[in-house]
Amino acid sequence: MKLNRLLVAFGLFFVGLLPISAQAQSVTEKSITTAPGVSIDTSMFLPSKTPAPAILIAHGFGGSKDSVATEAKFFASKGYVVLTWTARGFGESTGEIAMNAMDAEVSDTKELISYLAKSRFVTQDKTGDPRVGIMGGSYGGANALMSASADQRMDAVIADITWSSLQNNLFPQSVVGATESGPFKKVWAGTFFSAVTLQKAYLGECGSFVQVWCDAYQNAVINGAPSAQERALMASVSPQNFVSAITAPTLLSQGQADSLFPLTESYRTAQVIKKANPELPLSMIWHAGGHDGGTDQSEFLRAQYLSWFKKYLSDQEIKFPAFQFTKTNGSISLQDSTVIPKIFSSDQLPIEATEQQLALITPTVAAVYPIGGIPSAISSLPGIGSAGALASRVISSFGDFSPAFLPGQSGLLESAPLTQPISIVGTSSIKVRITSTTGDATLFFSLVTKSPSGAISQPNGVVAPVRLTNIPQAGVDVTVELPSVIIDASVGDVIAVGISTTDQGYELPKLSRFYTVSALTPLTYQNVIASATGSATANVLWPIGTLVTLIAAFIYVRLRRPKIAASQEESTALVEVQNLGKVYKDGYRAVADLSFTVERGQVVGLLGPNGAGKTTTLRMVMGLIFPTEGSIFMDGKAVYPGSPALSNLGSFVEGPGFLPHLSGRENLSLYWNAIGRDGDQYLDEVVAITKLGTALDKKVRSYSQGMRQRLAIAQAMLGMPDLLVLDEPTNGLDPQQIAEMRDVLKDYAGTGRTVIISSHLLAEVQQTCSHVVLMHRGQLIAFGPMKKILTRNRKSRTLEEIFLELIGDDLVIGKEKK
Amino acid sequence: MSYSAGKTLPYRLELYRQLKRKRTAFAYAFVLSLPILVAIAVKFGPSGNSGGPTQLGSGTTDLIGLATIGAANFTVTMLYFATPFLLVTVIALFNGDTVASEASWSTLRYLLASPVPRTRLLIQKIKVSLTLSAVAVLLVPVSAWIVGTIAFGTKPLQTPLGATFDNSVALSRIGIMTGYLAISLLFVAGLAFYLSVRTDAPLGAVGVAVGTSILLSILDAITALGKIRDWLPVHYAFSWFDALSTTIDWSVMIRGASYCAITGIILYALAINRFAHKDITS
Repeated sequence: MKLNRLLVAFGLFFVGLLPISAQAQSVTEKSITTAPGVSIDTSMFLPSKTPAPAILIAHGFGGSKDSVATEAKFFASKGYVVLTWTARGFGESTGEIAMNAMDAEVSDTKELISYLAKSRFVTQDKTGDPRVGIMGGSYGGANALMSASADQRMDAVIADITWSSLQNNLFPQSVVGATESGPFKKVWAGTFFSAVTLQKAYLGECGSFVQVWCDAYQNAVINGAPSAQERALMASVSPQNFVSAITAPTLLSQGQADSLFPLTESYRTAQVIKKANPELPLSMIWHAGGHDGGTDQSEFLRAQYLSWFKKYLSDQEIKFPAFQFTKTNGSISLQDSTVIPKIFSSDQLPIEATEQQLALITPTVAAVYPIGGIPSAISSLPGIGSAGALASRVISSFGDFSPAFLPGQSGLLESAPLTQPISIVGTSSIKVRITSTTGDATLFFSLVTKSPSGAISQPNGVVAPVRLTNIPQAGVDVTVELPSVIIDASVGDVIAVGISTTDQGYELPKLSRFYTVSALTPLTYQNVIASATGSATANVLWPIGTLVTLIAAFIYVRLRRPKIAASQEESTALVEVQNLGKVYKDGYRAVADLSFTVERGQVVGLLGPNGAGKTTTLRMVMGLIFPTEGSIFMDGKAVYPGSPALSNLGSFVEGPGFLPHLSGRENLSLYWNAIGRDGDQYLDEVVAITKLGTALDKKVRSYSQGMRQRLAIAQAMLGMPDLLVLDEPTNGLDPQQIAEMRDVLKDYAGTGRTVIISSHLLAEVQQTCSHVVLMHRGQLIAFGPMKKILTRNRKSRTLEEIFLELIGDDLVIGKEKK
Repeated sequence: MSYSAGKTLPYRLELYRQLKRKRTAFAYAFVLSLPILVAIAVKFGPSGNSGGPTQLGSGTTDLIGLATIGAANFTVTMLYFATPFLLVTVIALFNGDTVASEASWSTLRYLLASPVPRTRLLIQKIKVSLTLSAVAVLLVPVSAWIVGTIAFGTKPLQTPLGATFDNSVALSRIGIMTGYLAISLLFVAGLAFYLSVRTDAPLGAVGVAVGTSILLSILDAITALGKIRDWLPVHYAFSWFDALSTTIDWSVMIRGASYCAITGIILYALAINRFAHKDITS
């Protein structure tokens, strides 16, 4: 059913799918007799704590109390007693529909307030006066406004997507000061009426309507214009005639996607309330929903409604903006092309907005009205949405065609292309001269934007109908109030007043005629000063947060720097290792209590089998691994990662490391530049050592293991550092190269420099080194000059034999030392 | 022989070391190929319904459908194509591979022992990686604009929301989008760099960074997660789209850029801290 669609579109009411009895919350269903023959079906939802302020939730046309069960549960969970009811003439409630007449539906609401006044669950302001607010959408919204006007006990009002003047919606007339009624909005009226007569079974031509409304509808369909009696009837249910009596803070919410009750309705209600009672708290919301669907903002609206009730029913300190509105032209989701609504807020109500003017350059529009109004322009499809939006989706196949502006039957009074962007939020108006060949005119005005590509966009398909009679030959000058809109036009766009002679949603004249419409004044439009909600402070806070994070990151990194040991100025040795120990995170102890010193000019062999802790020790000397115990000093200065003392050290550990995509020469020169030192790099001498010849200019990727090894040792020697640390330098070299290497190292030490070599080949080291550090299982087992070690035990003659003797049978794999 | 920590691993040297690598050239070629391939596909591909060039997308209400209008639209569409995967991968590569590849070549230990102070090494690496990343991001609109001009001419930028911008406005908008995109990629950059410091396998760092980004994007697509998604850095990947509206609402872009920058900075700081205390065993 179409009206169920509407209820969803209200953005306020979801159809309650679950039977209320299935809910955990405490719900009492009760039938209340409010008038003779009228019993109202109600449900009361209790919060966990009572007594509490009460909220009346009125449902939309064609719905029932179940339509608002979701909302009821929400507000009950937030601590309010919620009373929902089915309006008379709908659902289980008896009685006839009187369109929120004072002596019918409004009287019912007053009875419900009296009922709440007797409830022990509801907070009472004084005897007979409960603390109560009311909210509703569409039909329910009108009930909220009318009831609050009629009953001073009301403490807060929220009305969504409802009417201000029923006549102005069923027979809309946009000429300021006109006495004629506008054209009959037949499609919407018919949709409404049939919803009642075709509920479950055919209920006769009047359904559950009271007779006067049934007659009025039939007369409207037949005559296309209301009689004086019908005007009075419509006036009797139009909030604009009553809201001056409202004493409760009022929130007026209205949807942009609404061709039934457009934004202008809330504008008019607000004007009346503000004029009658300037001090009354009054706020407005123009959201993106409405009877045509639009964009669902129910979550946002529910939060706003809760704030309103918290502020005015629970006396909480909440700042509530005067005006909030949604722009839907800001952003669309790239994932599913849905509009991402952007909410703006303002301290200014749209009725207080400043007026600005925009000159129009098209002097006159001439348009034909075809006999019978066929074909008719389609600006919107009731309940489905704006046809203009639909049309923009097929623009590529229709060219510049827009179904809201049929060729020959329409025209635009255009501005010049904009030189700066313009935002319009609120109403606009223009004075025009209208001529008609038949002496009467029915025209449909709208405010549109036209992009440089020619695409016309009519915001939400809302039009302002004009109906004039007795137009003299020379024409009549009238001021037309255009629909309230929210528009952003960019540079190069054109803002225009669109004029169409037909619209399929309305009752149209029978006979063909020809119209001209001339602009007499510039377009007057409104705009409010607004900012995106919540962004004002957030826009500053986020960048400040980023800056704070950056500063905090600097401080964090600085504070967390590894501690640096003090220097030992008395130490004269080149390298002094004191009680060095390393336990890896997994608990493996690689080095324990290792102490030795290396003096200048020595060639020291760091010896031991695989896994003795040699490489770990060398890496600690190089500042790559953090010792867990003890310390290392070089020239008396502590060694730590990046310590300047390391600049005196050249190293080769566990194989070469080069950029494979560069040549050997480039690698050496880049390394020299990377270590950032001035002075002689001794490149030629070093290169000579490598014996690489022309291969030096080939990419390292193509080198053999031996070539890389020699290049790496050359790199270690770059700049001739005082200390050279070589880990297994002869691995991968052939015997001849090993012999050459031996000479190179002896020569190097001969210049007063120092070399530390680690190896597991004891015999080879024996021939090269002057001093020995013997390690096993991370511990020092012997340290001293080579000669001394060799003569320590007369029985042994080689280092290897001495080593085996020193460690006993512990070398046997798998046997643990006790 | 004088040593000064401030002179080690100069910016230009590190830039040269990275530029000489094939992966750098490949990454840039990868980025450059996007507009060229799309333009060729549109120009010479099977023709669309109207007999004109191949229609991308479904019509004029989506960005892709507007791509062939002119250089400006083509550029914005290429930014859209490049945002979710291409740029994420390239940025993850530049930032995730930089330290880990030194470890895998064994050059890291020689640089550190020379000594290049650890924090300095990382700062220099970050500077160069971010330079390379910024160039990659910039390459998308620049190449797309040139390719778009050749293939479709320069026409005003038409947005899916119906607005039209002339070329000077369009260029400034594309500038804003590109700038935002660059900042919003800081999270991926920071994550990749952090992983690069933690592992010696360059492809591992890059892969995990890209994988995390994809995983977070999937989570972001689950609308049921509601507000939680606002705290996923990838949630803001496409917020540059806000620069297409007539009057720019900066709030989401500011939040997105700030949040991505904050997460990026935190990850960089964690990386530096981690590296400062790490035992270099590579």
